[in-house]
Amino acid sequence: MSTLVYMKILELSPASYDRWMRFLTLGRVNHIKKEIAANWINPGDNVLEIGCGTGSLAALMTKRGARVTAVDISAKMLAEAQKKVPAADFHHLTALEIDQFPQDKFSRIVATLSFSELTIAELDMVLSLSANLLKPGGLLIVADEVRATKLWQRFLAVLMRWPLAIITFLITQQTTHVIKNFEARLTAAEKFELIQRHEYLLGTMALFIGRRSDKVSSGAAAKTGGGVPC
Amino acid sequence: MLNIIKDFWFLFGRLFPFPTKPGLRQVGSPDKNSPVLITANFELTVRQVINTLNKDGINAWLLVANTRGINVWCAAGGDNFSTDTVISALKSSKIEEMVDHKRLILPQLCASGVNIHSLKKRSGWQGRFGPVDIKHLAAWLQSGRPNPPAEHRRVLFPFKNRLVMGTNLGVNTLLFAILPLLLASYWLPGFWWKSLLLIFAAAILNCLLVFKLPGKPGLQKGLALGGIAAAIFTVIAVSALHLPFINLSGWLIWIIVIGAYLGYDTPSWSPLWRTDMKELLLGERNTEVSVSPEKCIGCGLCQNVCPAGVFGRDLLSGKSTALHLERCQACGACVENCPAAAIETNFEGGICSCPTCQILNKLK
Ligand code: SF4
Ligand code: SF4
Repeated sequence: MSTLVYMKILELSPASYDRWMRFLTLGRVNHIKKEIAANWINPGDNVLEIGCGTGSLAALMTKRGARVTAVDISAKMLAEAQKKVPAADFHHLTALEIDQFPQDKFSRIVATLSFSELTIAELDMVLSLSANLLKPGGLLIVADEVRATKLWQRFLAVLMRWPLAIITFLITQQTTHVIKNFEARLTAAEKFELIQRHEYLLGTMALFIGRRSDKVSSGAAAKTGGGVPC
Repeated sequence: MLNIIKDFWFLFGRLFPFPTKPGLRQVGSPDKNSPVLITANFELTVRQVINTLNKDGINAWLLVANTRGINVWCAAGGDNFSTDTVISALKSSKIEEMVDHKRLILPQLCASGVNIHSLKKRSGWQGRFGPVDIKHLAAWLQSGRPNPPAEHRRVLFPFKNRLVMGTNLGVNTLLFAILPLLLASYWLPGFWWKSLLLIFAAAILNCLLVFKLPGKPGLQKGLALGGIAAAIFTVIAVSALHLPFINLSGWLIWIIVIGAYLGYDTPSWSPLWRTDMKELLLGERNTEVSVSPEKCIGCGLCQNVCPAGVFGRDLLSGKSTALHLERCQACGACVENCPAAAIETNFEGGICSCPTCQILNKLK
């Protein structure tokens, strides 16, 4: 259920963002966020959130006792998030600028519904930057829209995606995308090991937990990602 | 052949995004000192830029930014071609490994979304705005001047562009009107296709006449258009088709309504006029732009980014002044890029005023 077709409107409208998100994902997004905070965040964790939106996950993680640093590209969303979670540290940065944080600083990096907004080259680069920012054994937690793996699920997803996509296209001239082959991208260059994958909404959303692989040498500036020019 | 099909599509479907693959492209055989350009990933734009550069024999690195398949100006107005977009494109392309400099040439029309001062601060890249039209790039690069000449920094509206606007305006009107028209055809057989013909004929007439029509852009020009279209219709119907005049009155009113609507919507599709409900209906200009002489540091950037030639330079003080307010399209480029926050406006900059973006803003 590709529901996130209204992403663009949502990005621009902080006040109604959370409400819309709940509606479009049939409440799933909130559920996933709660699950992330409860199962994967420990008190004392140093968390970086990429694409924090209005800060609903940042709030949950802070409540859990984590120290949260978060980036987003929407100034309006950030203002809303700062109001909601005064204790967290918000920055107006793109996902590609997270290299300005110190290496090995974070025990968790979290991204919900933000990686699907990136191009493939950008995603590969963000993954490799993330590997550098995570402490050894740190976790990368990603929840996003994916292509369902089972054929019948994919068929259903396409059926549901099209009407929504057309309406969105007419109103906003936007489309949203799924992240394709995320597992392969995540484990490429041996930066992460995938330790868990959960599916939601007929396999159209997934939660990935990747652990920073020991093969990433701490502090080494392995700053290259994929994406061949031309 | 494929390009011909695409071009045909763009004649009608320019309002729809048409993405092409983002990323770094080589034009000619660029080296470490070649210029780095950036543009939107709208298929038509990228193709035109590459063709023009090839024709002019320019070797360059072309960064195709992920603007979600939207053209430069619309993307900049709608937050899809922003400083963040440029930074993401620069970083993910690893262009820094390809060249020995950090100078980036941006299309002038992205200035309402991209702030070159914060670009410099965040990425180290020095942005410069090139000409509005890529065909003037070669001459500017060869001139070695810091900015393109004033005449290449203005957005114009030649006949060819007006024609594309006309077909797109027609298609857009249809999108809104087709359902009611079909419904009305239940009582008035054939009403829908006759109306389609009329809408397209009036849209083409509009392209030819829009500058000549009396009145202010918007409803006033629209009523004039409807009147002229109705007159032409009467002449054809009475003299060529020998229809009795008395049967035409309903159609004449309908034609004037169509003309009025097209006229009202024309500014949204033009690069020259602002779309402001009140302005379009009443014909009153209510766009305000002013430069505070105390704050202005005379850098001249507002003059470079304004696509309408609104600003002039005070010869004595060297500071900018807003001279031609009547031309302002409320694009917000000047406000976005003024380093001294010296420009005040009575509109919210950076919000595009076309119907689609307006609907989007209403939904916010
Ligand atoms: S108004 Fe701003 S941009 Fe224009 S010259 Fe003055 S300081 Fe520069
Ligand atoms: S004066 Fe008007 S048209 Fe010129 S840059 Fe500013 S907002 Fe745009």
